[in-house]
Amino acid sequence: MSKLAINLDGVGVRFSGSNSSNGLKDWAIDRVGGRLRRSRNYKIDALRGVSLQIHSGERVGLIGLNGAGKSTLLKVMAKIYPPTTGRALIRGHVCPMFEFATGFEMNQTGWDNIRIRALLLGMSPAEIEGKLAEIADFTELGEFLDYPVRTYSAGMFIRLAFAVSTSINPEILLIDEVMGAGDIKFADKAKRRMFEFMEQGKILVFASHSPTLLQSMCTRTIWLDRGAVRMDGPTADVLASYTHVNAQPSPTEQCA
Amino acid sequence: MSGADHLFHDAYTSARLWRIWTFLGLQDIKTRFRRSFIGPLWILLNLGVFVGSAGLVYGAILGQPIDAFLPYLMTGFVIWAYLLSSLTEASSTFIVAEGYIKQFSYPKEIYLLRALVSSTSVLLIGFLAIILMQIALGRFFALGWLLALPGIVLLMTVVLGHITISAYLGTRFRDWPHAMAGLMQMLFFVTPIMFPAKMLNERNLEFIYLFNPLYYVIDIVRHPIIGEGIAPLSHYFAAAAYALLVWSAAFIVVRRLDHRVVFLL
Repeated sequence: MSKLAINLDGVGVRFSGSNSSNGLKDWAIDRVGGRLRRSRNYKIDALRGVSLQIHSGERVGLIGLNGAGKSTLLKVMAKIYPPTTGRALIRGHVCPMFEFATGFEMNQTGWDNIRIRALLLGMSPAEIEGKLAEIADFTELGEFLDYPVRTYSAGMFIRLAFAVSTSINPEILLIDEVMGAGDIKFADKAKRRMFEFMEQGKILVFASHSPTLLQSMCTRTIWLDRGAVRMDGPTADVLASYTHVNAQPSPTEQCA
Repeated sequence: MSGADHLFHDAYTSARLWRIWTFLGLQDIKTRFRRSFIGPLWILLNLGVFVGSAGLVYGAILGQPIDAFLPYLMTGFVIWAYLLSSLTEASSTFIVAEGYIKQFSYPKEIYLLRALVSSTSVLLIGFLAIILMQIALGRFFALGWLLALPGIVLLMTVVLGHITISAYLGTRFRDWPHAMAGLMQMLFFVTPIMFPAKMLNERNLEFIYLFNPLYYVIDIVRHPIIGEGIAPLSHYFAAAAYALLVWSAAFIVVRRLDHRVVFLL
């Protein structure tokens, strides 16, 4: 086994597309008379020139305003977004915990969805059957697990996804602000399980708006600002500068 | 960055993940018939209704002996449905897997294989229907099915190529399934499925099927199944040439679109 590492070298991610339907017609018009209609296309640089190394054993926090590129950076680390420029080298089994509300088979039961998700997270069928009872127990969904998940409420989806995702043995754990999950009782239970889980990850990258959480979980924090790294260092230092800069009320920026 | 290397690596990884895509593919079949009373029997029933009615009418119009014509028609139609789904339904392969693609970094090929598994399952149910009919008509040839195996493998190769092209182009151009549905509707009437190819020969209209690659792909499977022995060698060559063409096109499409799929969803 090679050593676990995340190595980004000048990574940029650009979203481009067209405001219109993106259909055959637009493609044809683009090919024929692209110059006439260039204005309808947009290009957004979600990340620009991000270079950083994360080694085995590091716990790294990501902070930044909404739209700063935290989620995009996590998706590059998860090998979901290929960088448009630069290089991304990720060694180790990645466990992404991003969207708890998607990736379900709506017409299948809770049990089936537990199996599918566990399989996709890299568990073997034998392992899944062994952990099934424990996962089901944690969700507290009871007989609802026998029903198709399209009957579930948003909170129930999160319970299910969370229970499955935290039951694996992660190498590289990437987390995108998931604490606000479920009702009060579950949130509390989830928090405890999450902390245990985060301890297991050999590399942890955690995007959050909460200084307290970052301080307790991460030794190093990266501050992203409009797609670029603004500061990278010990959590306390970065948080101090971050709160200092963003404390001045600005009418356009949302409160984190 | 070498695209071909990357592709081979992805293909290898996908093969190792067979558990995931067979599971998802079979789940798709289960989902399709969940909460329906007779489930997958619908496939048999619908085939029976189609072949029963079309077979009687066309058999009479074309003056075909009914016990030979029905298995011919049914076999052709089952294979056609398989090809049709690989060009139309398959275009939503990535679109329905969006939730997975945006969460897990698996090679996109696993979703293509998932589509292959589910459509091949439907094909197999169709084959079962053909066997039942052949037994009922006293025209079942076990050896014929054995001889059909090389053709079936080639057919699946073509279908996987189709699925690949459809999945990528269908994500990029949402018009794709509509265009393909129209094209296939036209081709259905000019491909020898509802009528035997020799009827065109007798009227010097061979050109209608001679340049239609789908005819050969269908024939190499149908010919042995209906008990006429192995198909002419030239048909295998034509089908193989088409498979090669489809795979080359698929290769180009994958190289150009693979890294963009996640942004297009």
